[in-house]
Amino acid sequence: MSQSRNQRRTSLSAATLAGDRRSRLGLFGSAALHAAVIAATLFTWQHSLQIADESPPVVPVDLVTIGEKTNIAPVAPKEDFTPKDETPVTAPTVDQTTPPPVQMAAPDVEEAPPPETAPSERLPKSVPPPVVPKQRPRPAPDQTKQKFDVNNILALLNKQQPAASNARGKTGARPHAGIGDQNAMTMDLVDALRNQIAQCWSPPVGAPHPEDLIVAFELFLNPDGSVAQPPQLAAQSRAAAAASPYVRAAAEAARRAIYTCAPYKLPADRYSQWRDITLVFDPRKMVGQ
Amino acid sequence: MIERDSMRRLSFTIAAAVLMVLGAIAPAAAQLHVDVTQGTIQPMPIAIPDFVAPGPGDGTPAANIAGVIRADLERSGLFRPLDPKSFIEQIHDINTPPQFNSWRVISAQGLVTGQAAIQPDGRLRVDFRLWDVYGESQMLGLQYFTTPENWRRIAHMISDAIYQRITGEKGYFDTRIVFISETGPALNRKKRLAVMDEDGANPTFLTNGSYMVLTPRFNPTAQMIAYMSYIGGKPRVYLFDLETGRQQMLGNFPNMTFSPRFSPDGNKVVMSLEHGGNSDIYVMDLRTRSVIRLTQDPGIDTSPCYSPDGTQIAFESDRGGSQQVYVMNADGSNPHRISFGTGRAGTPVWSPRGDLLAFTKIDAGAFRIGVMHPDGSGERVITDGWQDEGPTWAPNGRVLMFTRTLKNGRGSQIWSVDVTGRNERRVVTPGDASDPAWSPLIQ
Repeated sequence: MSQSRNQRRTSLSAATLAGDRRSRLGLFGSAALHAAVIAATLFTWQHSLQIADESPPVVPVDLVTIGEKTNIAPVAPKEDFTPKDETPVTAPTVDQTTPPPVQMAAPDVEEAPPPETAPSERLPKSVPPPVVPKQRPRPAPDQTKQKFDVNNILALLNKQQPAASNARGKTGARPHAGIGDQNAMTMDLVDALRNQIAQCWSPPVGAPHPEDLIVAFELFLNPDGSVAQPPQLAAQSRAAAAASPYVRAAAEAARRAIYTCAPYKLPADRYSQWRDITLVFDPRKMVGQ
Repeated sequence: MIERDSMRRLSFTIAAAVLMVLGAIAPAAAQLHVDVTQGTIQPMPIAIPDFVAPGPGDGTPAANIAGVIRADLERSGLFRPLDPKSFIEQIHDINTPPQFNSWRVISAQGLVTGQAAIQPDGRLRVDFRLWDVYGESQMLGLQYFTTPENWRRIAHMISDAIYQRITGEKGYFDTRIVFISETGPALNRKKRLAVMDEDGANPTFLTNGSYMVLTPRFNPTAQMIAYMSYIGGKPRVYLFDLETGRQQMLGNFPNMTFSPRFSPDGNKVVMSLEHGGNSDIYVMDLRTRSVIRLTQDPGIDTSPCYSPDGTQIAFESDRGGSQQVYVMNADGSNPHRISFGTGRAGTPVWSPRGDLLAFTKIDAGAFRIGVMHPDGSGERVITDGWQDEGPTWAPNGRVLMFTRTLKNGRGSQIWSVDVTGRNERRVVTPGDASDPAWSPLIQ
């Protein structure tokens, strides 16, 4: 009985051995076959298969990374804030100087102020100092909250951040990293803004060379969606606007759209994501409509 | 061992410090980037209160000027003058800035304040300022002196200045239209050469209607009109001097001359000359009166028009079998067809801006106005009447006028349309009118 068991074990072990040998063979065989299959996928015979192209039409989509978490409200040292009241864009001034009298012949009319360039460069040419120099289209409550108030830190930070970052060219008052993807640009915000601005923007459709009329603005918003400070034309657009009256008109139309649409309706809890916005107005698709 | 530990700690500290510095430099919060590619084409709301009248006799011109400016800007389709009844602030002094808030609440984006006063020397002095209501700044401020009768032109000039400042494009309100006025029954139609302001004011007849006139065209100074007339039963091209009222035949050709047009420098007239059923294009130098033949084709070549730089001429020809638009060099070389759309194409007119050619598109029995680039690309039809033909450009190349013939012999009218196809409207004329030609800005 025990012998027969031994025999069986021996035969078993022999079988196992044989199986081992076979499995190694099988392993190589399998690897070779796999390699052959992979190799076969790499080589094709030209025109061997003619599959009808029934793929649906290409639908262009924008791939946008969505942050899993919104950023924690950034913490910035409050002393970094330096309001830049000299921003001259909107200070209303009246050119009190009487333009040189123009003679009776109507065509001799001359423009009293010299040709203006960018809005911000216009003002120095006015002779008298601004009549109401500090008036800005910023909501009134902002002005009253300038004092440091422990209970009001957040409000202070929210409203002052844009001015600080703008005044310092994005170097000084940058907040620390919060939780979540710092570059998270959420498409719902972009869409919401785009839709709102589209209602207000009357693009320069009749002007020649619409491809030259693309203008970019940097815009800072208050938490209530109002415009925090006069929107700044991007440097490149500013140069173009100074050179061409068409670009200047396009830039002014875009700026009017920004103001007309305010206040913007955006989710207040994600203010940190839409506080600082670059708006690019591109009229090319509107031409001929 | 201890030394190694401290070394390791030091290197950790340095690494941490480097990381912190890097972290501080790296931009933390991303800017939201929004591309705005769609808008809503709508006229800009602008407030134009009646101009301030400082003296007792200044009230009428002050109100009239504002009224003409409002009408000009409204007609352009790019502005929406607001109802003066909605104004909250009354302007009494144009030298102080307005209260922008009270204009913002009525949704005005621009504000025009002005003043008109008769000076002690009898002249009319008009000042105006254009304000950016949202930007709270002055965009423009100008002053004009003129005789009081000229108030209408001053109003047009102010409209032009506002239009140019807002759109970047020169205006076209201080211009005139020459056209063919048609009166009387269909069988005994009187066709007279007439001229009027761009807004239809001051219409004047230049000829008395005893002979037929056709295709009038302004020269670049708007002082001379070239046209075709049947004086003495012979159809010939004539020149009319607006200043002196004199007219003269252009050259003495044995056969019919027609469809004249000035060169951009005003020194030449290009026209068609018919000879034995074949018409070709000729150019005459107005100073030397020398004539050069430009086309030699057996087909009908007509409706020539110079490009704004004077180097090319667009014309229509049936040399290829059907009426189409061709372009050749100003010396007649290299003629080539540019219109390849459906149907036929005729009466090409080069935009003063040079970027487009307007033409009459004849397709499926309908006449419409189309535009295309000088190479024939980008063809668009911009009107949809029963019979629209004979386009002429505003000096800024943004608006067109044309003749619209109504169905069932109900006459013909002059209409205007934006180059975009928007803002189609009838131009007010005394009675029926056709064949408009837009003058350049009056010098």
